[in-house]
Order: sequence, then structure tokens, then C-alpha cells
Amino acid sequence: MIDTIRSEWIKLRTVRMNLVLFIIAVAFPVIVCVLVASLGNITDLRVADVAGLVAGSSVITALLLGVVGAVSISAEFAYGTIRPTFAATPRRMRVLASKAFVIAVFAFVAETLVVVICYELSSAIATSRGASLSLSDDPQARSALIGIVIFAIIVSLLGFGLGMVIRNTPAAVAILILWPLVAENIIFLILTAAGVSRPRRFLPYTSGFGLASTDPANHEGLSRIAGGVYFAVVTAAVAAAGAFITSRRDA
Amino acid sequence: MITVADLTKRFGRTTAVDHLSFQVRPGTVTGFLGPNGSGKSTTMRCMLGLDRPDTGGASFGDRSYRQLSSPLHEVGALLDAGYVHPGRSGRNHLRWLAASNGLSKSRVDEVLGLVGLETVGGRRVKTYSLGMRQRLGLAGVLLGDPHTVVLDEPANGLDPEGIRWIRDVLLHLASQGRTVLVSSHLLSEMAQMANDLVVIGQGRLIEQCSVEQFVARHADQWVRVKSPAADAIARAVTSRGAIANMVDATTVELRGVSAVEVGELAARDGIVLHELSPQTGSLEDAFLEATAAAQQFASQPMQGLS
Repeated sequence: MIDTIRSEWIKLRTVRMNLVLFIIAVAFPVIVCVLVASLGNITDLRVADVAGLVAGSSVITALLLGVVGAVSISAEFAYGTIRPTFAATPRRMRVLASKAFVIAVFAFVAETLVVVICYELSSAIATSRGASLSLSDDPQARSALIGIVIFAIIVSLLGFGLGMVIRNTPAAVAILILWPLVAENIIFLILTAAGVSRPRRFLPYTSGFGLASTDPANHEGLSRIAGGVYFAVVTAAVAAAGAFITSRRDA
Repeated sequence: MITVADLTKRFGRTTAVDHLSFQVRPGTVTGFLGPNGSGKSTTMRCMLGLDRPDTGGASFGDRSYRQLSSPLHEVGALLDAGYVHPGRSGRNHLRWLAASNGLSKSRVDEVLGLVGLETVGGRRVKTYSLGMRQRLGLAGVLLGDPHTVVLDEPANGLDPEGIRWIRDVLLHLASQGRTVLVSSHLLSEMAQMANDLVVIGQGRLIEQCSVEQFVARHADQWVRVKSPAADAIARAVTSRGAIANMVDATTVELRGVSAVEVGELAARDGIVLHELSPQTGSLEDAFLEATAAAQQFASQPMQGLS
């Protein structure tokens, strides 16, 4: 298993696009946070606002990590490298589990970097402009910052699952990105029209983003933990379907 | 030793491989020959556990491929030199492959040297020529120093020098006692590399024999005679049941009679000969003849061959 993980890690880090995505994924929220902290209105700035800023700007990070997850398997089908991969390691579940592990660790590292750099930088800038912030004052903000990291890991694995099911890079990436931006809005409108109460709790991505909410009591969906679990279960279902298909089908 | 037994693979209604059985002996290069679309690649994918056969399977020694714990140490396979990520360097391609079976980085550099790619190992694969990709693929095959080597069309797209190189590598591997199976759709190419042949058509076994036997059995053989009295020779041999074909007034091609017999006949009758030479049809013709039969048999069950 260690050998397979090492092999998958070499694969992930030796493709330049992953490096580029990693840099964008980390740099984008950092730039946004620095700009907002430098230029925004800091009167009455609370630690929850900073955490909200970090969470909001790192949605992009999560999606880009999801793209890394999707491409890590769909590119194997596109270039045919899945065949030498399965020829070298005939236990396909071992390959898929190693890939999932490597992607999750990659997402964890990237998003942790984002949260730490963004939070430290923006609170340092805001403090230098006269705001007073302390993370220990607001347990919800602290949970939100941890929640962002968990959310990003789940999105990266959702991308991996979609890549296994769909096997086509553009299609998998499109679904990964359009699902939260378009599909859930449409489902929300349909559920609302049908008179379903609190329809947000049925939307997996929206519920999952509750992990990063600084004000979960005001979130119309599920609670932080329940939302995260729901999103994780949906992701696990997609990944399980993908793993089943990949292990059964001809490579 | 590779044993393929009763292997069948269907894709929907198409039967790509049809109850195919053959054996590949160690210590010799075995050519896996068949026209395009005859099921060679499918057979190889089934052998490597990549495609699921509908019946039968393949074993390496006494185990199936999926039962091998570190397959690269036992079976080196190259299905398609194009199965590489174009953005990855050749060295990194080999590194992930090596890591998956616990092979070291230094082994990667070693095989890069073996195939002559040490100076370009750091370049991205998309900059490689087809020949360089084939070499990279072969480096991957050699990584684990396997006792069995399976290559699908390794000479495809190579220039004559590249083909000669592949041939030398394969013959060398076989001379070390390894089992080597190599596919091609070109018999002339195969005849340069292989000692034994497994010939398939339409997913069925046509013949398993040596290259010489195959050529002798299937290639057209005739005697070419040039003589001022070519017509006299033609008359003399046709009276013995042979077939004569006048090419021009002084040249005749004779089938069903040996050059020795023609020579003796000419001496007996006092006929002057300007040329007397046995001819063999090209290997490609032999192959086409053998596989044309498979096409014919495709519409009716072929008894006793599969």
C-alpha cells in the first residue's frame, strides 16, 4: 500500500498543471483576503468577519482542488496510463484508495496553508489598521476555519469520485463546478416551488458549505456537523459508485 | 511459460477472441501474429487482467496475472508506447511505475541507460519521437527485470534501425532464458524477431509453429526457368502433372516440380538452360494466405483448430 501511495504521489506532483492549480488555489484567496483587509472598512470588524472572508474566498480553492481530484483519474483514462497503472498494481481498489488518500492529503495541505496564511495576513493587516481581533473569542469562527479545510478535502474527493464515474475530464470538471453554481440553485427553486420546508438542507454542496459557516444558527440548512456529514455521505456514494465501475469494467 | 487456455472475450455481439489457447515457451521469442483487428491486443489485455475474459484465461507459470503480488518483477508488459502522460518527463513516468512495485530511483536511471534515453530522461514525453516512446516503453518493461515479457506491436512506427534494435533486445532477453511474446500484424517484421509463431485470425488460433514451418506450409514455392526452349520444358513438366506458366517466350514458372527434377529433365532432353532457380513467395503472401483462410472460415465453424 505504501508503494502504491508513493507511486500516486509521484504522479500527482510530476504533472505541471497540478502545480499551477496548487499555486492558484493558494494564491487566489490570499490575494483577496489581503485586498479586503487592506482596503475594506474595518470599523466593527469581528473575527467572524475575517473567518467568513477566508471561507468565502477559499471556495475557489476547494473547487480547484476538486479539479485536481477529478483530473487525477480522468487523465489516466484519457492518456491510457490507467492500463500500465492497473498492470503494475492489479488490485484496483488499492490504486483507487491510494489516489484518494494522496488527493485528500494534497487538499488538506493546500487548504490549511490558505486558512493559516489568509487568517494571519488579514488579521495582521486589520490589526495594524486599528482593529482588535482574537480567535479565542469566537469558537464559531474557529470551527469555521477548521470546517473550510474539511470542506475542501470533501470537494477534492467529490472531484475524484466524479472523475471515476464520468472518466472524461471536461465533463467531470464541468459537473463539479456547475453542480454548486447552477444545479443546486435549480433544485432549490424546484423544492421551494413544491412547498418543501427548509429546502436548503437537501442540497449536499450547500449543506457541506455549512462546515465553513461562521453563523451556523442562521444557516437555513442543516447544522455544521450534520451538513458536513451529509455532504461527505453524498461524496462517498459518488466515489463508491466510481470505484465499483472502475474495478469492474475493462480498463 | 505463458499458458493461454480457452480465452474468449466478447464486446457486445462481437467476439474479439474466440476460445483461444496457446503456450509460449521460455528461452525463445514467440511472435503473436494476426491481421489488424484479429484480437491480439484484446488477448494481451485479458492476459494482463485489464479486460475480463468471458471464458478461460492466461497463466504465468502457475498463477494468473492478478495473483502476482509485484507483477513488474515477473511480467514486463508494453501494450502501447502512447500510454504516457505527455506532460510528465520520461524519468518521472518510470519513477511512478517503479515506485508502485517498490523499485528504486537508481533502477530507473539504470533502465534509462539500457534503452539509451539517459540524456533525454528529464524531457517531457510530448517532445519524444515515436521511437523514443517505444524505448521508454521498453525501459518500463525492463524495470523489474521480469522473467516474462509481453509486447504489443513494439516495432509499430519504428524505422528499420529501431526494429533491428528491438529485435536485438528481444533476442537477448530470450537468450537469457526469459519468455518473450511479441505481437505484430506484419509477418516480415515478425520473421526478423521471432523463432516461434502463434498465428490468429478472427480471434481464433490458426497455427502455432516455428517461423520456418509456417513459411514452408503457406508460402508459394515455384521454380523459375529461363531457356531458349522454355516451351519444351513447359510441355515436359506438364506431362508429369506439374503446372507451367509462360511468363514470356523464354521464361517459364513451374509449380509442383522441384528445381532438381527440372534440371535432370533438361539434361536428359538436352535442353539449354539460362536460369534455374527455386522461388519462395514473400512472407506477407504466406501470412495473407493463411489469414484469408480464417476469413473464409469465419462464416462457418472451424473444426479442430480452436
